Amino acid sequence: MRLLRLLLLSLVIGHSSLVISTAAADNLPLVALFTTGGTIQSKGAHRLTLMEYNAGRVTPDELLADLPELKGLARIEVTEISNVGSGNMDAEKLLRLSKAITKELARPEVAGAVVTHGTGTLEETAFFLHLTVKSSKPVVVVGAMRPFTAISRDGPYNLYNAVRVAATPEAAGMGALVVLNDTIHSARFVTKGHTYHVETFVSRELGPIGFVDTDRVVFYRKLLSKHTAASEFDISALTTLPMVDVVYGYQEASPAPIAALTEAGAKGIVFADGSPAFGKAIQAAQSKGVVIVQSDRKGAGRVTISSNVAARGQITSDNLNPQKSRILLRLALTKTNETRELQRIFNEY
Amino acid sequence: MPAMHLSRLTFLFAGLAVFSDTRAAEIPDRIPPGVQPKPHVLLVSLGGTISGTAKDRLNVTNYGAPRLNPEQWIADLPDLALYAKVTPEDLRAPGEPSTMDTAHWLKVARRLQEIAADPSIDGVVITHGTNIMVETGYFLSLTVDIKKPVVMVGAQRPWTALSGDGPLNMVNAVRVAATPEASSKGVLHAMNQNVFPIRDVTKASAYRMHTFQGIDVGVIGVADPDIVKFYTEPTRRHTFQSEFHVAKLPATLPAVEVIYTYHETPGYIVDAMVANGVKGIVVDGTGAGSIPNSMTEAIKKAQAAGVVIVATARTDGGRVQVTPRRTESKVVPGDNLPPEKARILLQLALSKSTDLAEIKRVFDQY
Repeated sequence: MRLLRLLLLSLVIGHSSLVISTAAADNLPLVALFTTGGTIQSKGAHRLTLMEYNAGRVTPDELLADLPELKGLARIEVTEISNVGSGNMDAEKLLRLSKAITKELARPEVAGAVVTHGTGTLEETAFFLHLTVKSSKPVVVVGAMRPFTAISRDGPYNLYNAVRVAATPEAAGMGALVVLNDTIHSARFVTKGHTYHVETFVSRELGPIGFVDTDRVVFYRKLLSKHTAASEFDISALTTLPMVDVVYGYQEASPAPIAALTEAGAKGIVFADGSPAFGKAIQAAQSKGVVIVQSDRKGAGRVTISSNVAARGQITSDNLNPQKSRILLRLALTKTNETRELQRIFNEY
Repeated sequence: MPAMHLSRLTFLFAGLAVFSDTRAAEIPDRIPPGVQPKPHVLLVSLGGTISGTAKDRLNVTNYGAPRLNPEQWIADLPDLALYAKVTPEDLRAPGEPSTMDTAHWLKVARRLQEIAADPSIDGVVITHGTNIMVETGYFLSLTVDIKKPVVMVGAQRPWTALSGDGPLNMVNAVRVAATPEASSKGVLHAMNQNVFPIRDVTKASAYRMHTFQGIDVGVIGVADPDIVKFYTEPTRRHTFQSEFHVAKLPATLPAVEVIYTYHETPGYIVDAMVANGVKGIVVDGTGAGSIPNSMTEAIKKAQAAGVVIVATARTDGGRVQVTPRRTESKVVPGDNLPPEKARILLQLALSKSTDLAEIKRVFDQY
């Protein structure tokens, strides 16, 4: 039975997928765990190694064996997507991960999904899942700021809490969630805000949408924008995503990256602020069909809807940061190149 | 002297009005084409710094009378007409600013309940002094059955101040009240371009413009220069979802007081409250809502006399959780409410039931 599932999943998902079952009471909720790697699955040379930890990877087996408390919480089925740092995530892995989650959540007996991920680009993967997983069951992305081997590591409790949230009925319909440090963030709002602290994930002025307390998983906010089951994006037939890159704006920023990206075949460029020198290069890029999205480097607040920007055929990113604007634009470009339609998408997601 | 004061003010406002008129003519009509005629917003004055005036525009701390009548705001802000037809209503407590009490809350709540049923009114803005505006707003959000937008607004600087925040706060509050998406979200708070549910916002700085903060959770929307946009809605019960209703409340609410805690907090504070007939005490505990041992005996005596104890946390952020020890000692966790809001909820809960399980349910849901 297990072999058959492994075989089936391998056929569908391909690559290094692996299914493991842990022994837990049959009446507990079934949570699908997808491992991708990250600090939560990293080993350091000794327990004070809190940076440059590259002494080995933690397998899904080790991760579960380390946390027997999960057996009191849920039945876990593991699918290994990858075991890499978040810097190595790419469109192929994103698509494979999202499709695998949709497939598992379609099983009536599965309550929710948990994804382990490196924290560096965790917000990008979480937002991608928020936009593409076709299910209203909970999808929880989790990571750690300290490696598996570290003193006072945060990974085990984060993973425990992530499974709790995934098994919580109230978490359904909330879109993809990010759970670290007892805090539940929406994938739509969350960003990594500190290089090393355990409270790194923040949602700026919108704040967390809930908390994982010992007595209760509690939600204080419900999202109004479209996501997951209500999203218009269908990745089921996609094997790659349109090329979109980010250009950072600053005093005397050179327009050279814009021309280079256009030359390299970018379908869209997201700007983290502008520069007076960008004007001509942007026009040249647009004349070759490159879509321009104006985002911002400040980390909070909306790029307001501007008649000037619209008149230039460009799109404003609402309050999406550049890296998330990029994810949304890649998906939007699979549907349309039309400016007005792209702006609608940025207004609605 | 008062006469000179007033004439000077009139001059100042006349200047403002002329300036605003010129500017308003250049501002395009931002009302979406589908929404015609413009929404009718009732601007209810409960006073506050936003109605405060001073002779000197650098006076931002020691202002007082005379307070503006609500008509004056509308005269000063012709811009409001871009967004809504605004009608003023004066509901200030006699002797405002410092006399807001439960009797006046009930009066305002009853009036708001009338407004809920008035088809000619689309939304409501309520001004208030900033110090206790969220308490008034939370009371209204728990007792008035209304789906129309209700927006609390105030200012950190008086109406006459240099770079006063009142005018833009007022414009934005009217914009929010005129926004259909602002309905069914409970009583809202709109200042400094942010929109919060009243339950989750607290005054966090004495003088700064960004004084209103959500400690645990953030804004649900923004009043940006282009649009009013909502990102989330609150999950806790309010207004039309609330089981409390102003029409069914007793004339006086059960007495509930707050005790702030610190090491060696004396039990005689509890004794004194019980002797004065309180039905409930909110203990603003240390850390995760801990009640100091120095109060334990007094708390037990109070409970034996039928007084309900709710624990909040003086940390400002974080929930007081259900723990075995807390359950055993019959202390109701106050969720993440600050003590001044837990007090209001406990007063309302006690007006219906003294059963601890029932009161705990109320704190879990509101």
